[in-house]
Amino acid sequence: MSHPAVELDGIWKRFPGVIANAGASLTVRPGTVHAVLGENGAGKTTLMNCLAGVYRPDEGAVRVHGVEQRFSAPADAIAAGIGMVHQEFRLVDTFTVAENVVLGAAPRVVSQRAIAGEVADLAQRFGFEADPARPVWQLSMGERQRVEILKALWRNAQVLILDEPTAVLTPQEAVEFGNVLRRMVEDGRAVIFISHKLDEVTSFCDEATVLRWGETVAAGVAIADVDVTELAALMVGEVEAAPSPDRMTEPGDVAMSVKDLTVDDARGLVAVDDVSLEVRAGEIVGIAGVAGNGQRALTDAIAGLESPRTGAISVMGIDVSDAPPQKRFAAGLAYVPEDRLGVGLAPKLPVAENAVMRAYRTLRRGPLLSWRAAREYSEQIVERFEVKVGRMDLPLASLSGGNLQRLLLGRELTSGPDVIVASQPTRGLDVAGVRAIQRLLLEQRDGGTAVLMVSEDLDELLSLADRILVMVEGRIVGEFDAHSATRTEIGEAMMGAPS
Amino acid sequence: MKQRLLLVLSILLSFTLITAACGDDESTDTADPVDNGDSGDSGDGGDGGDDGDGDGDECSRTGTVAAPVKPDDTTSEVDASGVTAAFVYLTDPGDAGWTWAHNRGAEQAAAATGATLLTVDNIAEGSPEFEQSVRDFIADGANAVFATSFGYMDAMETLSGEFPDVDFFHATGFKANDTNFGNYFGRVYQARYLTGLAAGAASASGNIGYVAAFPIPEVIRGINAFTLGVREANPDATVTVNWTSTWFDPAVEGEAAQALLDGGADVLAMHQDSTAAGERAEAACARWVSYNSDMSEFAPNAYLASAIWNWGAYYADAIESVADGSFAGGGNWPGMETGLVQIGSLADDVSDATRTLIDERSAAMIDGSWDPFTGPINDQDGNLVIADGDVPPDFGADEEGRSLLDQNWFVEGVIGSAGG
Amino acid sequence: MKKLVLVRRETPTRGGQPAAFVAGFILALGLGAILLLISGDPVWEVYTRMFERSLGSKDVMSATLNRATPLALAGLAVSIAATMGLWNIGAEGQILFGATAATFVGRIGEDWSGPVLIIAMLLGGAIGGALWAAGPGLVRAELGVSEIITTLMLNEVALRLIRYLQNGRWKDPEGLLFPVIEPRPVQSGLGTIWERAHLGVVIAFAVVAAFAWFAKHSVWGYELKIAGASPKTAAYAGISMRRKVLGVMVLSGAVAGLAGGIELTGTATRLDVNISSGFGFAGIIVAALALMRPSGVAVVALLFGAVQVGGISIQSIGVSSAVSGVLQALILFGAIGAGVLSSYRVQAVERKVVAT
Repeated sequence: MSHPAVELDGIWKRFPGVIANAGASLTVRPGTVHAVLGENGAGKTTLMNCLAGVYRPDEGAVRVHGVEQRFSAPADAIAAGIGMVHQEFRLVDTFTVAENVVLGAAPRVVSQRAIAGEVADLAQRFGFEADPARPVWQLSMGERQRVEILKALWRNAQVLILDEPTAVLTPQEAVEFGNVLRRMVEDGRAVIFISHKLDEVTSFCDEATVLRWGETVAAGVAIADVDVTELAALMVGEVEAAPSPDRMTEPGDVAMSVKDLTVDDARGLVAVDDVSLEVRAGEIVGIAGVAGNGQRALTDAIAGLESPRTGAISVMGIDVSDAPPQKRFAAGLAYVPEDRLGVGLAPKLPVAENAVMRAYRTLRRGPLLSWRAAREYSEQIVERFEVKVGRMDLPLASLSGGNLQRLLLGRELTSGPDVIVASQPTRGLDVAGVRAIQRLLLEQRDGGTAVLMVSEDLDELLSLADRILVMVEGRIVGEFDAHSATRTEIGEAMMGAPS
Repeated sequence: MKQRLLLVLSILLSFTLITAACGDDESTDTADPVDNGDSGDSGDGGDGGDDGDGDGDECSRTGTVAAPVKPDDTTSEVDASGVTAAFVYLTDPGDAGWTWAHNRGAEQAAAATGATLLTVDNIAEGSPEFEQSVRDFIADGANAVFATSFGYMDAMETLSGEFPDVDFFHATGFKANDTNFGNYFGRVYQARYLTGLAAGAASASGNIGYVAAFPIPEVIRGINAFTLGVREANPDATVTVNWTSTWFDPAVEGEAAQALLDGGADVLAMHQDSTAAGERAEAACARWVSYNSDMSEFAPNAYLASAIWNWGAYYADAIESVADGSFAGGGNWPGMETGLVQIGSLADDVSDATRTLIDERSAAMIDGSWDPFTGPINDQDGNLVIADGDVPPDFGADEEGRSLLDQNWFVEGVIGSAGG
Repeated sequence: MKKLVLVRRETPTRGGQPAAFVAGFILALGLGAILLLISGDPVWEVYTRMFERSLGSKDVMSATLNRATPLALAGLAVSIAATMGLWNIGAEGQILFGATAATFVGRIGEDWSGPVLIIAMLLGGAIGGALWAAGPGLVRAELGVSEIITTLMLNEVALRLIRYLQNGRWKDPEGLLFPVIEPRPVQSGLGTIWERAHLGVVIAFAVVAAFAWFAKHSVWGYELKIAGASPKTAAYAGISMRRKVLGVMVLSGAVAGLAGGIELTGTATRLDVNISSGFGFAGIIVAALALMRPSGVAVVALLFGAVQVGGISIQSIGVSSAVSGVLQALILFGAIGAGVLSSYRVQAVERKVVAT
């Protein structure tokens, strides 16, 4: 009888103002894909960080293949065969794929070509496509994730922790990813799979452990024995109904229009190719597409973070093509960027500093900023959008992913925008978080706001959007009525098939 | 847009270059010799071989130097045990050079008079550290402060006003009062003239090099007196000056010396604290006149003569004047008559005729009947500057700068610019 | 088998930093004692003198304040730049050029009344420092050229500029051809306010306090904080990074240049290449010790000033300048090292046995 690949036993982990893990346990058998489920703030990421050597648990035991371990640094965990792919990638942008994969674990004599070859072989063995010579900054989020997984495999990880791995994949890619997972566990590896997409959990995973409020509420449940509703119930206590997309109002006038927009990327290649689109008041327009097809450049250009080569953008009839980001915001354009921590928020700064980032210009008294007003303003956002914060003066990084997004969206919505551009607004959130964000967007729609929403979750777009535009290689290649289109139709368009 | 940025950048860069070039103004002379020195290194092998054996064979001379002249111990009849004399030095005393000479004199004077000696070194000129060090000394009971570098002058003046009970002695400056602040220096040019006699006689080529620090009157006066001596012994000889803009930088001074040697000089004189010029002369089988102290040990074959300081007697007198309260500021510029400046040992190959000439001139200077700057003296361009029989005054003279303390022109026979 | 390793604390221990400073200070004194024993200097006498001559009386305390003044301003200059992740290695050059600019103003306003001239010279110093830092700020903002290199190079340029002026343009005609610059006008001396401490002490610490307050309470300071924490986020919030980089460098240079003006009018009588005593470089250490926080700079500068004044005082009892320098460095770096260590802890871990 072999030992479990991983045993976490009675793990406690406290942070200032927050108890992240309160005696959580997890047992993962080798050769299985094990789902760890739980709401935001349930303590999944903290528990995984304890296993990956990022944190030291305050109490409790970590055993890997039966041997008790006390990791003091991620390197110790790696040496013990634990590999973790974090939600926020840890790659060196200017290095190539191969360089990132071997970084810190390269053999003494480094032959670029030999390493590139080995990395390519490794990728092929597990069914990835990866060009070892490309620099990471050129890659889409999905491609970067593959590099992260390769990194762990290169280090001969026997236990692979994947935090929200499918969030950056297309439905088709997600299915393919399932096959990769199976291949990885074939020779005895164990994969710990953190996800909120219950259908993926049921189709990819063998067993599941559910956390709630830092405790294990269900351990090692065989997936074959439960259904989606049961799992969801375990996670949130009771299942909340999906928000009803039924509209109360009809779309009004055009709130935002983008005309002939062409944007070059950092390489000078065309990222957005002559895109024109309109979003009406009270309408949600979805942009579907595989990660890395120009969505980010499109939304960044609309928000004023990228300067387009050509094209015009107007918000509520005002031409903002040359306006800086804050002028566009003042004109009624709110933006939820895809990279929340890198662009939308400053994680090193406290909550209040992040909350007033849009409004501080209105809170000034001459050259001075009233921090009392700023704090009141932040507290309103925190209250209204139900952001769970420990202490207001702690860096934002101490918040969970869902709370970060609530804060960000709350900040963008507080001023009552006419147009919201939201890029991957629910990516990486738990069921309750996803529902909350979706509900907010629907409320905004019903209140007459125009919403342009980029998502790689087709189901989400189908249930929320009125119209879906499909983006491939920077171009809008098809437009679908969300109420009548099918997954297959749209999926084919996303793969570049003529529509 | 890009072009505008490039323009901005190039303006900035040009500005940087211009300023750097301006800053270089005084050190252009150093930059050149460094280059020459580099190219000279390769030429060296061709000239005389740069390996030790070759040098040994080709150098016609193996010096057997008489015992170096070291400053004499001094004696004193006055009990100055109530005096605490504090000395502030620019550099480490080391084992030869300006600070060494002062420090040795201070030690001798303290031993002779029974005064307490306090010293501190590595105090930069014009820095706040100087003032603090002096205040520290005064707090420790110092009642005489000696500062041996020019740049301490302003702070000495301020402090002498603040501490009327302490006597302040400043070397090489020009400020003073008539109570407790005086400046002092010595007529080392007199000794330089004597070394010039030896150098002129020793130079076969008539090409003599002078590695000089900064174009200030003290250095210019030394070069002039040396040149007058050289041409007394060897009327067609010339002295080529190479400025280093350093007081102590063996690398720069060595390169400057090398440049002169590569230019054909067979005797070198110098005015810095390092022995670098002597080492280069030794390697090139040339001859060398040292300064500050008798450095014959550092280059036994090249060593020819030296102009040296003997501060012991002077400092003993100064300490005595503090002890008996007779010090009343003012300027003090003694010459060979006090023994403060001397000529060091002469190399064994200095001819008897030259030795006799040196002794004669030396005696004339000691009894005050003659000075090297007695006219007629022409400047570099051949104009008569000091009329026949005239001796320029020490200070405050006339507009042509003929007074000794602000001499800013070169005498006939010097090649180089007195402007630096 | 066990080995000891340093492990980064997830959260800094509360009150750990002051405690670590004290511990590091004591450790440094211990190491310094060993150094002094080796160099043959009297340990107790050296330490008591260092203390007595820097903090032991009103007179020496005022000297420490004077010394701390340029250190505080230089430290502030470095930490201002650091709030945006910029390294101003050129505070030294900005001090020198600030003093040069102040001298220039002094030459123009030779006949002006004292107060007017002093204010003009201090402003001139600040503007000079600002100009000296504006170049690096501009090329950093527009072309992304590392400010570390450009500011460092400009230190040498400022020094050479003073050498040039010493030997040429501004040479003192009464200096007997010595390469010294003409003294500043006599009426331009900053008055003393307490013992030997001059007015510049008040100006410097007021500037440090004003900046700390302004950074905390102004829109500008808030924008600076975001720009320093995350440039992309700043762009998202509509904060122009280019203008911030240039602005921060100019301000940083102005503060350093002011230090140059204060040194000229407060402690020096004329511009000289040694007018700064390396304050600009010491400012980097001050800022680092203050963990780049403007509010900490004042405290660290006072400590640093005391250590330097004490360090000079022991040289006059025969401690060599080299030993004194090492001792000062030990004390300061003991405290820095401890400050860094306080965010780590020592842990014994199992040494891994590698199977072959």
